[in-house]
Amino acid sequence: MLKWYEQNVPDSDVVISSRIRLARNLESYPFSVKLQEDQAVKLVNEVKNLTPLLSEKDSRTYYACNISTLSDIDKSAMVERHIVSPLLASKEQTTGLILSDDETISIMINEEDHVRIQAIVGGLNLEQAYELADKVDDIAYEQLNFAYDEKYGYLTECPTNAGTGMRASCMMFLPALSSARLIQKLIEEVGKYGMTIRGIYGEGSKSLGSMYQISNQKTLGNSENEIIANLKRIVAQVVKQERKRREYMLSLNADELQDQVYRTYGILKYARQITSDDAMKFLSQLKFGVDCELIKFDREFNIHKLMMGVQPGSLQWALGKNVGSTTRDQARAEYIRKELPTII
Amino acid sequence: MLCERCQKRDAKLLYTEIINGIKKEQHLCEECATNYTSFQMEKPFLNSEFSLGDLFSTLFENHLATGSKNPVNNIPKIECKSCGTTYGEFLQKGKFGCAACYRSFHSQLGKTLKGIQGAEVHTGKRPKGFVTTTDRILQDLSETEKLSLKLQEAIEKEEFEEAARLRDLIKELKKEEIGNA
Repeated sequence: MLKWYEQNVPDSDVVISSRIRLARNLESYPFSVKLQEDQAVKLVNEVKNLTPLLSEKDSRTYYACNISTLSDIDKSAMVERHIVSPLLASKEQTTGLILSDDETISIMINEEDHVRIQAIVGGLNLEQAYELADKVDDIAYEQLNFAYDEKYGYLTECPTNAGTGMRASCMMFLPALSSARLIQKLIEEVGKYGMTIRGIYGEGSKSLGSMYQISNQKTLGNSENEIIANLKRIVAQVVKQERKRREYMLSLNADELQDQVYRTYGILKYARQITSDDAMKFLSQLKFGVDCELIKFDREFNIHKLMMGVQPGSLQWALGKNVGSTTRDQARAEYIRKELPTII
Repeated sequence: MLCERCQKRDAKLLYTEIINGIKKEQHLCEECATNYTSFQMEKPFLNSEFSLGDLFSTLFENHLATGSKNPVNNIPKIECKSCGTTYGEFLQKGKFGCAACYRSFHSQLGKTLKGIQGAEVHTGKRPKGFVTTTDRILQDLSETEKLSLKLQEAIEKEEFEEAARLRDLIKELKKEEIGNA
């Protein structure tokens, strides 16, 4: 089965992925701040018991594991692939995960909320992501008693998530807008519509390779469909702006841009060691070149998969061991060399 | 002992590397260890620039500012019976202790939620099979009462044909009821 980042999807020149996250809590346990370790163990086991039911009612196969007992490399690799959140990976209490075989659905257990259902699909496709998350939510509710109040909706530890408990987000690739230093303006602009822009690993994380996440801020008062429609409208606007800006850049100096893209390819193809920040920077420049048809390859290849593969955790995970930064930089360069296609 | 790499900060750990059988030991400070080895001294990824606690302390301060001379007494002394979280504690941390807190702090919550979310009533998904108070009231209504509600709705929507049909239906039912009695 193809993973979400391996599929060809529309609008992927600007929107890398669409994600829906639903926060849910069980009525019978205190929230995370008051949860004791023995209760955490019970909670994780109780939610993990969903796995057979999910596999039975959905076409995917689901697997469960404890996160807290995994090695740091495993955890980092999972964060880099957006399977778990940085918070879940760094928590010391017992935490768990249910994951579908195609990595589309993941259920984090004992994160900030007891259960966080996440569905992620490629491109601009929030509706499909919601449909998936909604279905899993319904199946889970058959077995788990989620805290729900008819006035406040789904009850969450933090009041900023109450109501729908839903965070809808799109991961955006905005090289033209960021090189024109328009991101700050964009942040102010989308803020007016109740949306926020953050780095790709969520709250407090920095932006890597011109990638940003746009998501809804408010979770109460509007229905899930309204929130999604609003976000989609904003994202569509940003897509339009980014494309316009790219066209403008091309009309100004296409030759110079093409030269830059070829040089970037040269560095990626021939470097013997490369840091992850550099790798992200150059891969993002290469993606820009491919999207603008400044460079053509003998075969299709997925830059976003590469962007995840060059992250320290994923790289060490592939190597199967913890290695020092120099070895890591060498392994990264080798990995990129192997994956890069040939120019035609 | 100073860090062997930067020679500035105190060395806090001994880093041993074995490459092709050659063992190399270095005394490093936390920063150099993070930058030059596979060690991650800090929790990975979590360099949050602001926390929600900040957002809440603002709300908390607002609460204090609007109060009288002795503002701390102004915060209602409510405690959640289920988990023991107090309303003051909630305002400070920005976190509920359990699901029951929502009911315990009910009298104060509308204002707080409105401040954060701009709304206080959920209009989205309802779990399958969840029966609301409105549902329960509706279930207990008689057939004519249910039709009267529909009639009202039809008039509001200016669907007058439907309204007329419902009106006649209600008349019929009432006649029957009287007849049966």
